Amino acid sequence: MEKDTLIMSFESSCDETSVAIIKNGKEILSNIIATQIKSHQRFGGVVPEVASRHHVEEVTKCINLALDEAKVGYEDLDAVAVTYGPGLVGSLLIGIMAAKTVAFAHNLPLIKVNHLAGHIYSANFVTELQYPFMALLVSGGHTELVLVTAPGEFHTLGDTRDDAVGEAYDKIGRVLGINYPAGKKVDQMAAIGNDTFDFPRAMVKEDNLDFSFSGLKSAFINRVHHADQIDEELNKDDLAASFQGAVLDILVNKTFKALKQHPVKQLIVAGGVSANQGLRQRLAAEMKKRNMDMELVFPPLRLCGDNAAMIGAMAQIQYDKKDFADLDLNADPSLDFDME
Amino acid sequence: MKILAFDTSNKPLSVAVVVDGKVLAHTESTEKKTHSISILPDIKEALKKSDLTIADIDLIAVAKGPGSYTGVRIAVTVAKTLADTLSKNLVGVSSLQLLAADGDQEHILIPLMDARNDNAFAGVYKAVGNKLENVIEDQHTSMEKLFELLKNYDENSLEFINATPRLQELIQNQFPNAKVITTENSLPDAAKLAKLAETIKPVEDVDDFIPTYLRLTQAEHDWYAKGHKDDGNVSYVEEV
Repeated sequence: MEKDTLIMSFESSCDETSVAIIKNGKEILSNIIATQIKSHQRFGGVVPEVASRHHVEEVTKCINLALDEAKVGYEDLDAVAVTYGPGLVGSLLIGIMAAKTVAFAHNLPLIKVNHLAGHIYSANFVTELQYPFMALLVSGGHTELVLVTAPGEFHTLGDTRDDAVGEAYDKIGRVLGINYPAGKKVDQMAAIGNDTFDFPRAMVKEDNLDFSFSGLKSAFINRVHHADQIDEELNKDDLAASFQGAVLDILVNKTFKALKQHPVKQLIVAGGVSANQGLRQRLAAEMKKRNMDMELVFPPLRLCGDNAAMIGAMAQIQYDKKDFADLDLNADPSLDFDME
Repeated sequence: MKILAFDTSNKPLSVAVVVDGKVLAHTESTEKKTHSISILPDIKEALKKSDLTIADIDLIAVAKGPGSYTGVRIAVTVAKTLADTLSKNLVGVSSLQLLAADGDQEHILIPLMDARNDNAFAGVYKAVGNKLENVIEDQHTSMEKLFELLKNYDENSLEFINATPRLQELIQNQFPNAKVITTENSLPDAAKLAKLAETIKPVEDVDDFIPTYLRLTQAEHDWYAKGHKDDGNVSYVEEV
């Protein structure tokens, strides 16, 4: 039997400080996540300088908790991995500096991981990945369709042209009086309400696989403001259901277009918005309706948001390829996959 | 005692290895290379030059701020992670005190960091024996208020350190006879940081060691200004 590989991974690209210990890219020995949501809720959204300060406060605590929970020591580790982008530069730097320091202090190889790749490989904890597979990446910062042709080989087929889907949820949430992050609450309200407002479904008639949510967001905000001006009372659950109905139509339309162009055996849905119950049910229903012989994979809820476990899963692939980084590693805030 | 000291609180990056008072390696760079890129390679190089490994080091000394927020965070994160992961002692030294260590020790020393709009991070230091005593504590202040705090000193005894052209202009208007060391001539020196660190007690809890910003973030400042108060029971960051 081959020797096990243990990777300590770091993630600090936005408002979560996370350190994990992952065995062979498949097994989570620990996955410590310190979230700053309560702090940023004071300001209605993530404030980068506040986020950076919290990361410095948390980072060594997370390291020690991760080691304790995994019941391992530094001598058991084979590599150190870290998210180097995309994300907030000040936030990314804390994880990067800490990871580089641990790698240097213990003479371990360093692996730089793309945050988006990490999200996609959160599925590695759920199923045996079969290449090629399709990934729908939906989060507060990203909305992408990515074809993964081989381990660590990513091809972006479509991307958002404006807002990310999670960002749109937060923006309309604010109009409904829901604090950031608004996705979960809007999802719950949508389950109660009805799609009565008929908001626009942008770009669904176009052949490309790109997304757009800013028109939908504006239509929503204009409708609510107009009602405020004429003292019209709108049903908030119906508003939420109408917004989510439009979002899901757009996501489903583009995803199935992509699947038609690139037949695969698995569709992975990842990123913070993959926790959305409406999205989960809808994709399952659409797949059934089309009689598709395809595995639909959602990460467990804990792995939908930002976490270091997923970074460790991706890092294992790079470890096997000996794709190591140097101590001069820097943050790349706008890192992305190559466009197809 | 084997000390590894480094400072990234401003544009220069300085790393030193000092063993029993002797400077074995000393790098200073004002190159426009980012500190996040250079700091670990520079530390590695300094240790190599000293014929030591990181495991040999007894004490990590770091300039803990005030200064550039991102700059200070880079050094503090490396320092606290090193101290934590290798169970080493850690000492944080005021970045202003470090600047004062470069001044003429016969003077009343006022290290500065320009914080824009005629504000600065500043402290007042005086050499007593071989120690640098903090006379007026480090603070974020308007230059006007700083001058008020200094009015009882003989201006001939004052030495301002690390003044940008704008701060120099303000100082010379107020105290024409004070000595002013400009930014180009105020390079923080990690070897001096190591020596200062020997006079300071190591931090007790490395986890809780954070930069000294001396300023709230704008968002927090605005939030408190609106009358908000922290709820004592709420922890802003929680493990989930």
